[in-house]
Formats: sequence, C-alpha cells, structure tokens
Amino acid sequence: MNEPRCETVQERLPDLLAGTVSHDEARPLHLHLESCDECREVRDLLALLSSARPTAPARLADRVETAVRSRRGSVTRPWWGLAAAAVAALALGIGVSSDVRGVPEVPAYVAEAEVSSPWLSDDGIIAGAPALGDLSEEALMTLLDEMGAGPSGGAA
Amino acid sequence: MSHGEGSDAPSDAVLVRRAREGDEAALGALVRRHMDAVYRVALSIARDPDLAQDIAQDAFLKAIRALDGFRGDAAFRTWLLTITANAARGSLRRWGRRRETDLDSAPPLATEEKGPDEQAELSAESARAREALDALPEKQRLSIQLRVDEGLSFREIGDIIGSSEGAARVNYFHGIRKLRESMQ
Repeated sequence: MNEPRCETVQERLPDLLAGTVSHDEARPLHLHLESCDECREVRDLLALLSSARPTAPARLADRVETAVRSRRGSVTRPWWGLAAAAVAALALGIGVSSDVRGVPEVPAYVAEAEVSSPWLSDDGIIAGAPALGDLSEEALMTLLDEMGAGPSGGAA
Repeated sequence: MSHGEGSDAPSDAVLVRRAREGDEAALGALVRRHMDAVYRVALSIARDPDLAQDIAQDAFLKAIRALDGFRGDAAFRTWLLTITANAARGSLRRWGRRRETDLDSAPPLATEEKGPDEQAELSAESARAREALDALPEKQRLSIQLRVDEGLSFREIGDIIGSSEGAARVNYFHGIRKLRESMQ
C-alpha cells in the first residue's frame, strides 16, 4: 500500500476528525500522521476549529418554524379554493367560447392564470372563497348546473 | 456525511417528500436538522449574528417555497446551503454591508453565540483559530468551514461558493496555509 501524500491526508483530515472514515481508510492516514509534522499540525489546527464551531441560537429554530408555518399556511389553498378556481375557469371558458360551435376551449389566459395563481385576488373574501366554502357538495353541483357547466354538459 | 441514513431518524429525502405532502412535522425536522449549518454559513458571510439569523430565516423560507422544484440532483443540505449563501450575499448587497474591508472590527465568530460558561470552557487556542479563520477571504473561509464543520466534499463546496471543485480545493489549501501562518 502506497503511503498517501500530505495533500491527500490533509483533504481527508476533516473526515478523520469527524469519525466518518472507515477503518481501512483511516489506517494509512494514521500511519502518515505518525511521521509527518506538517500534517499533524494541520490536524491539530482543524481539531481546534471544529471544537469551537458556532451553533445557532436555540430560539432561532422556533422562530424559523413559526415563520415557515405561517408562510406555508398563507400559500396553501383549501379545497374550496380549488373548487372556486375550477368554477371561474369553466365559467370564463364557456363565456368566451359560447358563440363557437363544438367543444368549448379554456382560453390560454385562463389556463395560465390557473397555473400561476388560480385566485384573481389574494383576498379570499374578494375571491368569493368563503361563500363557496359554505356550500354543500350538492349545492355546489347545483350551482355548476345553473352556470351550464354541470355534469349534464350544459355548454353544449 | 449523510443525515439520517443508518439511524432511526428519517433521511432528508424522506422528510422532503413528507414536507411536500404538507407534513409540518417533517418541515420542522428539516429546519432543526439543518439550522446550525445554515446559521454558520449565514454568519460566515454576513459576520453579524443578528443579520445571520435573519438570513437563516430568509433562506429556509426560500427553500420551502422552492421545495417542489427541488429535483434531488444534489443533497438537500447542499441545495439548502447554496440558497443560504446566495441569500446572505443578496442581503449584504441590499444592506451595502460588504465587510471584507472591515475585518478588524468584525467580532470573533466563535465567541458570538456562547454563553459565559461555555466561553470559559472554550480554549483560548480554539478561539484564536476561529478568529484566524474569520480573517480569511470569503471563499477560503467557506471552503475550510464547509469542509470541517459540515463535512462536505469539494464538489459540494464548489456548488455553494460558486466555484469549480478544483477551485474549492485550492481555496481550502490556501486557507489552511494562511491559518497555519497566523497561528504561529
């Protein structure tokens, strides 16, 4: 087995100090360290650094978790949000294509809006979300039928 | 060094998948697992403990927002630390607080978040080594820090500092040489 060069040893020293080097890999490194002053000096230096590495303040994780949950909650859409978006997209699609014979197509700008942000407003009240949220599934289907987009295929 | 593999703790990949599905506990576990590393990178670039905390929060929020786009080509931690480094640099640009020219007044990193008891236990040599690290140019500093503190490969370090793997290795060795000189 060839003895590793200083550069190789010094590259691996952080892993050796962290104990993430296998026994077989560690043995030549230790042998090299026994006979190399420079690499021992670097090892001791890195050990000093490692022993004094900063840690995050304990409260920071709580603060970040709270912020993450808050942000995530604001962008997570409840089921009625998706339902309202679907109704809006269908209604707009039908309206634009009502004078065109054949299968109605959803306009490109509607599809685009659906991909990027299905809400016309960030405000759920303006977007009509609470009203739809109060509807039962049956009432929602009735509404869809009245708009001509229900299961009976009112657009035809 | 992988997180969670070979132990009872779920791996990052598992936590990321759960977090994408809306599991808040998984999200919290990712935050806590990587908080120290994120904070250290932020602190190393910002050199200000308060600003580093803001950057850490910003980095996590950015990462969570982009979680659906995380393809898993890199380790989650490398991806997260890259976001952190970019957030830190962006923050410094916004604040106009690039401190490479202000090293003399920069507080020693190792002492910033230690309480009196901990500080008393910290050897003078360790503190001196950390101060010497703090005085290195950013890429050398980060190359050593990410290698020693986080156990990252030079390829991962290169991704984070915006250099090639070879350049990250060169920065590491140049930094080591300067550290040895300043400790003598």
